Amino acid sequence: MTLLEVRDLALRFGAITAFEDVSFDVARGELFAVIGPNGAGKSSLFNALSRVYEPDQGDVRLDGRDFLTLRPDQLAGAGVARSFQNLGVFPHLTVLENVLVGRHHLMHGGIVRCGLGLTGAEERRHRTAALDALKFVGLAGHAGTEVQLLPYGHRKRVELARCLAMEPTLMLLDEPVAGMNAGERAEITAVVSRLRGERHVTVVLVEHDMGMVMQVADRILVLDFGVPIAIGTPEQIQGDERVIRAYLGEPAEEVVAA
Amino acid sequence: MRTRIVLLAAVLVLLVLPFQLGTSALTTGTFVVIAAIGATGLNVLTGYAGQISLGHAFFLAVGAYTGAKLGEDLGWSAALWIPAAGVVAGVFGALVGPVALRLSGLYLAIVTLGLVFIGQHVFFNAESLTGGPQGRTFPPVVIGPFDFSAGQVLRVGSLQIDSNGLYYYLALALLAGATAFAWNVRRTRSGRAMVAVREREIAASVMGVDVRRVKVAAFTAAAFMAGVSGALYASYLSFAQPGEWSLLLSIQFVAAVIVGGMGTVAGPLLGSAVVFALPTLLKNLPFLPEEAAGGVSVSDLSSIAYGLLIVVFLVLQPRGLAGLPNQPKEAHS
Amino acid sequence: MTEFLQLLFQGVSLGATYALVALGFAVVYRSSGVINFAQGAMLLLGAYAVSWLAVDVGLAFGLAVLAATVLLALAGAAMHGLVLRRVAGRPTFVLVMITIGIGIAVTHGVEAAFGPDRRLLGDPWGSAAFQLGGVTINTVKVWGIAVTALALGAYFAFDRYTRWGLAMQATAADEEATLSVGVPVRRVHACTWALAGALATLGGLFLAGFPGAPQPALGDAALRAFPAIVLGGLGSPVGAVVGGVLIGVVEVLTSGYAPASLGTNFYAVAPYIAMIAILLVRPYGLFGVRPVERM
Repeated sequence: MTLLEVRDLALRFGAITAFEDVSFDVARGELFAVIGPNGAGKSSLFNALSRVYEPDQGDVRLDGRDFLTLRPDQLAGAGVARSFQNLGVFPHLTVLENVLVGRHHLMHGGIVRCGLGLTGAEERRHRTAALDALKFVGLAGHAGTEVQLLPYGHRKRVELARCLAMEPTLMLLDEPVAGMNAGERAEITAVVSRLRGERHVTVVLVEHDMGMVMQVADRILVLDFGVPIAIGTPEQIQGDERVIRAYLGEPAEEVVAA
Repeated sequence: MRTRIVLLAAVLVLLVLPFQLGTSALTTGTFVVIAAIGATGLNVLTGYAGQISLGHAFFLAVGAYTGAKLGEDLGWSAALWIPAAGVVAGVFGALVGPVALRLSGLYLAIVTLGLVFIGQHVFFNAESLTGGPQGRTFPPVVIGPFDFSAGQVLRVGSLQIDSNGLYYYLALALLAGATAFAWNVRRTRSGRAMVAVREREIAASVMGVDVRRVKVAAFTAAAFMAGVSGALYASYLSFAQPGEWSLLLSIQFVAAVIVGGMGTVAGPLLGSAVVFALPTLLKNLPFLPEEAAGGVSVSDLSSIAYGLLIVVFLVLQPRGLAGLPNQPKEAHS
Repeated sequence: MTEFLQLLFQGVSLGATYALVALGFAVVYRSSGVINFAQGAMLLLGAYAVSWLAVDVGLAFGLAVLAATVLLALAGAAMHGLVLRRVAGRPTFVLVMITIGIGIAVTHGVEAAFGPDRRLLGDPWGSAAFQLGGVTINTVKVWGIAVTALALGAYFAFDRYTRWGLAMQATAADEEATLSVGVPVRRVHACTWALAGALATLGGLFLAGFPGAPQPALGDAALRAFPAIVLGGLGSPVGAVVGGVLIGVVEVLTSGYAPASLGTNFYAVAPYIAMIAILLVRPYGLFGVRPVERM
């Protein structure tokens, strides 16, 4: 069953086309990846999907509803969670508090009820859910630590736990392993892969790192110079001539080995 | 466990203080506690939500004149005019909030500065409410049989509490309430959203945090506490001119929040103790020449001191006095 | 008509001084992203430095102005080097609060050192004036306008045609990139603070000219110049100058024509009311642009 439908999406900055003719469907529970070399338009596509940029043409539907009328702050309520390429965590909040912010839209206490201490039951309930998300990414032991004190890979996991705690129907991940060393990359790849396997979250992820994508994705869309050049399973993509050429003309084996 | 002992000890010290201090020291102490109520409000706005405000003096003034109007001109009980002062100031805060939403950081600082100037202009000219440049009297706190006017003494068993002591305990109770409120906010949904907005506004909004509502809530809470503080302050002074509610007063509150430790629980009280007790402290230093003798004035000296305190704390101890005991390890970056 | 011309002249004269003050704000903001709340204290310090050098030390007036300008430039650079440099990279909020702290300390330091009373400026013009078509023209105001025009011209030429001006613009646009091509960014920052100090001396000098005088409240003029930089858009030197002149004219005209029902001294808040109204319509000022936020 289709969750996200993207039709003929295009975004231009003046005379420059960021991307065009982008169409794809994402099924419920699927892990869909968008890849491409630098400057292929991946980030622009991500920003259009996360409602930061306004696309110039096309149609996006989430569960059959028009997606392009939502403001960024309405995404959470609509069941969409997103991560940030440069980390969207709050450094001076603890790990647990960061994850609880992800449940903000599921909670109700306003400043008066909070201040008068009337939201204890609600807080406890959501704390349990947040701890569960932390357990999932393996950070339950760090719940009380300020995020700024954690190394980069851990912070990324906090962000993933927060996305998970939002109880989204769709999760958008912006280059989750960008700027990471091999160890951190493996760590995050494993978490993303389990997100789909154990929690059945639908994920759309934009990524530069081919190796990561080949491991976790069900299907892949390849962009080059803003135009889709291939769509299919990892196996299909690995054998695609145009994809190999787009990635610097390297032989397919080397790309896949990354 | 250790924090609880410290907390308990602090509360005990605060409770017995009036019996240990002389009248002049108790007066200073009372002013400090009254100011700490307002500083607690500014701490919510600036420390939690990260919004710069130089307009705190304006909200104190709104509270003070609300108290005067209701308590003195209309004869209401203090049990009504003190909360009303908070509510009216809070409404003004809620009105400023939307302006603040449109403006980021520095523009906001300048607009709140404008609020102080425009407010002073209005206060100087609204003679029927404020007495104009000559100033006006403010009502003493009277709640049922309890009269806080100067000269009144309350006897509880063998204890005697005079007017100063009564104001002190009332302010302390209100401060406890304000502190509990702020602490509850900080550790629940509302306060987390404020810190999230302070740290990364865009990320917060993507989490479903309604940034506008958060800012308006912070402004309203800050203004409410400022209003209560202002009403009590004016009542304790019993007389004030519009010049009282100046930019300098706003800056003293900013200094108190910074010196005490932004976003901390004990910060507002600790910072107020330093900033608002400073003039008295300096006056009692032995090496200071008498003001009348043409020496440096105490008000100049204390202004210099808290100006420097702001700088020193921000440069060397950004977590303020409250952050002194538990320094965090250096952050990774 | 004569009254209008008289007010207009005074407005332009005051506006010229505000333009200097606002330019001082703008250069610092453009390079460091900080609104320098200590600018008022620097104005005060500048006026008192001139007064002290000319009256107490007994330098010739021109020499006193020159020396005071150099002293204030050094003070500005010191403020950067001793304090602000140490907190580089911290939130803007912190930097602004620090300038507020410095401003308070310096303002009251000056008052503590020189006392609360008006002082002599030691200028050769005093209250000298001449008549022009029924309008009284004070010599000091003519000098004020002329020196402002010269200073602004020199600044814009410096900004446009010298290596340092270019370095300042580059630093403002992208500090890291500028550093990477070998520009000593730290020195550029120090240089802008020095420039702000020098501009403050000139501004303070003419604010303290007839009918003013060096007195502790002088620095408040900087607070009145705030609306100028906001209207002009923070960080736009041209906008600052235009906003400054505008505010001066508005202030003086309101003081002449505002009806009594608006209250005494309405002129002092008129710029703020105008500013808030304009900000509600254009949140980044008349010439300012919304900064791009990166994801």
